[in-house]
Amino acid sequence: MTVSTVGARAPRLTLRRRRQLAGALFALPAVALVVGLIAVPIGQAIYYSFTQWNGLTSTWIGPSTWTQAFHNPNLWTALENNAWLLLAVPFALGLPLLIAMLLHQRVIGWKIFRSIYFLPTAISWVVLGLVAERFFAFQGTLNSLLHFFGLSHVNTNMLGYESTALSALGITFVFTMIGTNTMLFLTGLATLDTSLEEAARIDGAGRWRIFRHITLPHLSRFIQLAFVMTVIALFSALFSLIFVMTGGGPGYATTTMEFLIYQTGFAQGDFGTAALYGLILFVLTAIVGIVQLRLIGSDE
Amino acid sequence: MAEITFSGVTKVFAGDVTAVDNLDLHVADGEFMVLVGPSGCGKTTALRMLAGLEEISSGTLSIGGRVVNHVLPKDRDVAMVFQNYALYPHMTVAQNMGFALKIRGESKAEVDRKVREAATILRLSEYLDRRPRALSGGQRQRVAMGRAIVRSPQAFLMDEPLSNLDAQLRVEMRVEIARIQRLLGVATVYVTHDQIEAMTMGDRVAVMRGGQLQQVAPPQVLYDHPANEFVAGFMGSPPMNLVRARTSPSQGRVGLAVGDQRLDVPAAYGASHDLPREEGAEVVLGVRPEDIEVVGGDASGPTLRTCVERREALGAEILVHLSVADAGQARSVAYDEDVAVARPTMLVARMAPQARVEVGDVLTVRLNEERLHFFDGSRGVTLRRERA
Repeated sequence: MTVSTVGARAPRLTLRRRRQLAGALFALPAVALVVGLIAVPIGQAIYYSFTQWNGLTSTWIGPSTWTQAFHNPNLWTALENNAWLLLAVPFALGLPLLIAMLLHQRVIGWKIFRSIYFLPTAISWVVLGLVAERFFAFQGTLNSLLHFFGLSHVNTNMLGYESTALSALGITFVFTMIGTNTMLFLTGLATLDTSLEEAARIDGAGRWRIFRHITLPHLSRFIQLAFVMTVIALFSALFSLIFVMTGGGPGYATTTMEFLIYQTGFAQGDFGTAALYGLILFVLTAIVGIVQLRLIGSDE
Repeated sequence: MAEITFSGVTKVFAGDVTAVDNLDLHVADGEFMVLVGPSGCGKTTALRMLAGLEEISSGTLSIGGRVVNHVLPKDRDVAMVFQNYALYPHMTVAQNMGFALKIRGESKAEVDRKVREAATILRLSEYLDRRPRALSGGQRQRVAMGRAIVRSPQAFLMDEPLSNLDAQLRVEMRVEIARIQRLLGVATVYVTHDQIEAMTMGDRVAVMRGGQLQQVAPPQVLYDHPANEFVAGFMGSPPMNLVRARTSPSQGRVGLAVGDQRLDVPAAYGASHDLPREEGAEVVLGVRPEDIEVVGGDASGPTLRTCVERREALGAEILVHLSVADAGQARSVAYDEDVAVARPTMLVARMAPQARVEVGDVLTVRLNEERLHFFDGSRGVTLRRERA
């Protein structure tokens, strides 16, 4: 059999080439957005970290900002505070996991409980910070409760002392993360094939083993996602809580990297150094993200 | 290994839905019992009660003589194969198969030995380190079987284990499962909606409908002597032809009026069946597709004039759809899921591929007079007298 080629011209572009071109064209707006909103600001931050910049005019001063910044004890305090706050992460994951497991059992009124747990997510962190500030204050709810239970002698003033203010901030952070993470885990549990649990029950597994061998491995992706989201929130979304609860104090006891950027840039007008701190925070967050992506990737 | 007994077992779900109604069923030690029926007939619920995954509303369920109504699934010593296999996705084939043994506290060496043994039986040895997602449907199905057999349980429970496989694989696995069950000799309850699986695999088959047991018998007995219209219409592919007719006795012989045709019924049926003696009583006549043959117009015996409506060539045989020639009064019974519906009378005949039959032909067909079935017109139960 012969195929007639009369009238057929070789196309200028092959089908494969045309597909590639179309793909590139469709991706172009997204690439432009990423470059404009992420790459350019990062580039600018790097540039400004080598300048003395008051927000209007910048003067190139070379790497002196970098050398000075690393000799600034406040930077190390802020990094240390960030590190300490990481201790809140297991609680910000563990408590929601426990709550989600309970809600997943369809206990009576589970829908109401679900709404209650999700409520903090729908409320501004400024409001939550104000509530927490009232809760931990010397004449606040916590002390009233202790008094009510006859524990007046353990009167606390958690926000008033350097040793306890960071803990109060951590506890508040855990509370604010409960709703989101509970929802995330509930979603994960809803996608768990019930026949797996049934198979395990028939195989002889009790509740703990089912949780350990069936539920937890199934939830691992959701836990990883919650972990990344929680750590990123911890590094870059605590500002409003700190601002209304402690203002970064007492001293620098609750000043995190994020709050230090604000203080350096907006309170002291040193935008060059603030830009450098911003870069450090970006690198820290990126490391967490990359490590996490690697972990997820290694599961494939 | 053990026997299984359902005694008056009933399951009522919330909203007063009775899924299983007073089920009495005995599965002997080593027996392969198939529960078959249309969707919603209660077969899966019965199996899940046996597994301990559903509470029993009333009645008694025992395994190996021990009442298990309130015994947890893990303490029943039964193994179940699920429709979707329910393999643990994050575990390898070996871990899936050894999970129950590990929980039981068996040594690693012992678990390993049993898993390898089962893998050999199931031809899975080379896949032991793979995860379920890296296996084909048939391999997953075999892993699910492997997970059940390594435990050497008292009973195997299988919930439509072949329904997710393609047709060819299903035939292969049908043979495979039956082979393994015979090899191990463990009492097995196998749930399916596929009557071919029921016929080919079970030592006995229990047909269910609307939560009630219709008949339990060896497959051939079920096929040859269905207890009622439903069983007759459910078992067999294509199923038994069920024709609504009225009695029309003549000169001491039983006769039937099918639409405006008269069908002679051999006298022997008068003795073996409780056929109504009066004129015009409604009965349902049943005849299997293979018991219909084309004859000349003047042939004797139970004959009907028909017209060929459709011809389906299946290679080894042809299925001929015949409409009974009359003024449209004749009706047949068909089961749409488990609801009986009346249709204009159609007969399906199984014929040799050489049969020269074309659509539009007018044919006289004779029903095999030794293999006619009669059912009560209103209750649907067989009119055959119990053999002494």
